[in-house]
Amino acid sequence: MSSHSAQAALIDGPDRFDFAEIRIAVLDAMTPDQVDALPYGVVGLASDGTTEIYNATESKLAGIPSSIVLGWSYFAETAQCMNNFMVAQRFEDEPEIDEVIDYVLTLRMRPTPVRLRLIKAGSCARRYLLIQR
Amino acid sequence: MSSDSDDELSNLMQFLYTCPVGLVDFDASGTIGLMNPKAMQLMQVLTATPHVSNFFSAFERCGPELRNLAQGFTGRRGTVCENRRVFVREGIVDDASGATVLDCTMVKLSDERFIATLSDVSRQVAQERRLRQAEVWFSSLLDGADDFDVLSLDGAGRIDGVKAGLLEETGLPRDAVIGRTLDVFDCPDADGAASDVVGKIALARRDGWYLDEGWRRVKGGERRWCQRLIVVKSDRDRDSGERSLERAASGYVAVLRSTTRQTFDAAKLRRLLQTDHLTGACNRAHFFEVAERELRQGPYRGQVLSVVAMDVDHFKRINDTHGHAVGDEVLKAITAACQGVLDPADTFARLGGEEFVAMVATDLAGASAKAEALRARVAALEIPSAAGPLRVTASFGCATVSASVRSMAALLAEADRALYSAKHAGRNRVGIAEGVAAVA
Repeated sequence: MSSHSAQAALIDGPDRFDFAEIRIAVLDAMTPDQVDALPYGVVGLASDGTTEIYNATESKLAGIPSSIVLGWSYFAETAQCMNNFMVAQRFEDEPEIDEVIDYVLTLRMRPTPVRLRLIKAGSCARRYLLIQR
Repeated sequence: MSSDSDDELSNLMQFLYTCPVGLVDFDASGTIGLMNPKAMQLMQVLTATPHVSNFFSAFERCGPELRNLAQGFTGRRGTVCENRRVFVREGIVDDASGATVLDCTMVKLSDERFIATLSDVSRQVAQERRLRQAEVWFSSLLDGADDFDVLSLDGAGRIDGVKAGLLEETGLPRDAVIGRTLDVFDCPDADGAASDVVGKIALARRDGWYLDEGWRRVKGGERRWCQRLIVVKSDRDRDSGERSLERAASGYVAVLRSTTRQTFDAAKLRRLLQTDHLTGACNRAHFFEVAERELRQGPYRGQVLSVVAMDVDHFKRINDTHGHAVGDEVLKAITAACQGVLDPADTFARLGGEEFVAMVATDLAGASAKAEALRARVAALEIPSAAGPLRVTASFGCATVSASVRSMAALLAEADRALYSAKHAGRNRVGIAEGVAAVA
């Protein structure tokens, strides 16, 4: 099954998989192929910060394969520029978040304006960070 | 592309992403072309926003010299500066990533390309500062180990313990010494100013130590040149480091040591540690050290504390029109003028660029009166330049400590807001922080 058809199979409404609309339960239920097919970067973190999901879009934007990132602390090893009070600390401090913020990442070492969506919910152990260029 | 070179590229990316040192590549105007995440993280602390796009702009407040160094570097390529320390304003962020001192090395690759490394050296700097304090101790004690006297002072600076040797040497009875201040031993020149021993104790409390030199009396009406070190006695655990020095002063230890050499210039050492080398004002690091300590201790001493923020009007225009050398002269002249207006107990510091601040132990009304005096003095200055005498003005903002404004960062932010209202109102005026009376 190609990733395109995987995504098509999931769509049952026009906005369900949009960067700003997708719900944490939907993200968490997706297969790796389906997450890879999303047009924005998806990073899923365990409660201790270990990277559990690193989708193909993010891998392409950042220029590193997921094998390098998965299983390691995301904010300490890969995304030090989000290891601060604006992103990483919020995942620690706030019980629930769903917020989109304007941010600048150093994708392939180029300062790149992005929109970040920080998602954390009581119902889901995994936290998500969505990255739209 | 072969898979080998793909691997190589992703290894290189990982190397850069994970690198624990910040790496930045920028052009002559400071526009950043490449930077790794660590550099972004460190520079976000400077700007307090996620948006960092210009290297020099990010350092404008706390390290404006980086731009001058890069632009003034005449070689076609080479090291512009190496391990230069930049003191970042404290209190911008509260989390662990909030570096307070950055170390910057800058290399010029061509007229249009520079690279820089950045690393957080806050811990090393704090440690060095503690070592330097200890060094002052040792150089004073060991140097003349067979010829020093130690006194104990109470919290108010009155002598509460003295060795018999010193009494014998000076010919003073114990009764004439106990309960008195240290100037009981002074023997100033006939035309010398009265010794401000209270001020010296205040400085020791502020900085943890105070070192000076002067004539002291000895038996038979003679006098001898002595070094004097006053150190805060702390009951707290020394292991907690610098903090222990900042806590309540339960008393002081004073060491008197006679010396024939006057080469060990205590004042010079202190200047080196604490002043901005261009203007002679306090440097940024020292200001924050003093300010945070005053903030903690002020309320216990029933002291009010205010700050006056000052920004030279149209300073960029002066630099652009007359060059940086004239700009530097302007900053020096303004510093000298302001120091002349302020009291010796006030702290006047250059925070960066054309930004200055005075910390004054007075209420808001007193601070605004001082700001007005500073404003008038600056506006009256005539600074000689090749194009004839230059006139400058500055804008001011005053704020005072209150129940809602208790940290130095908050106090400075209040003063900055008042300063910007003064700028908006037409410059060359004093703005007062509003709403401070709202909290009981």
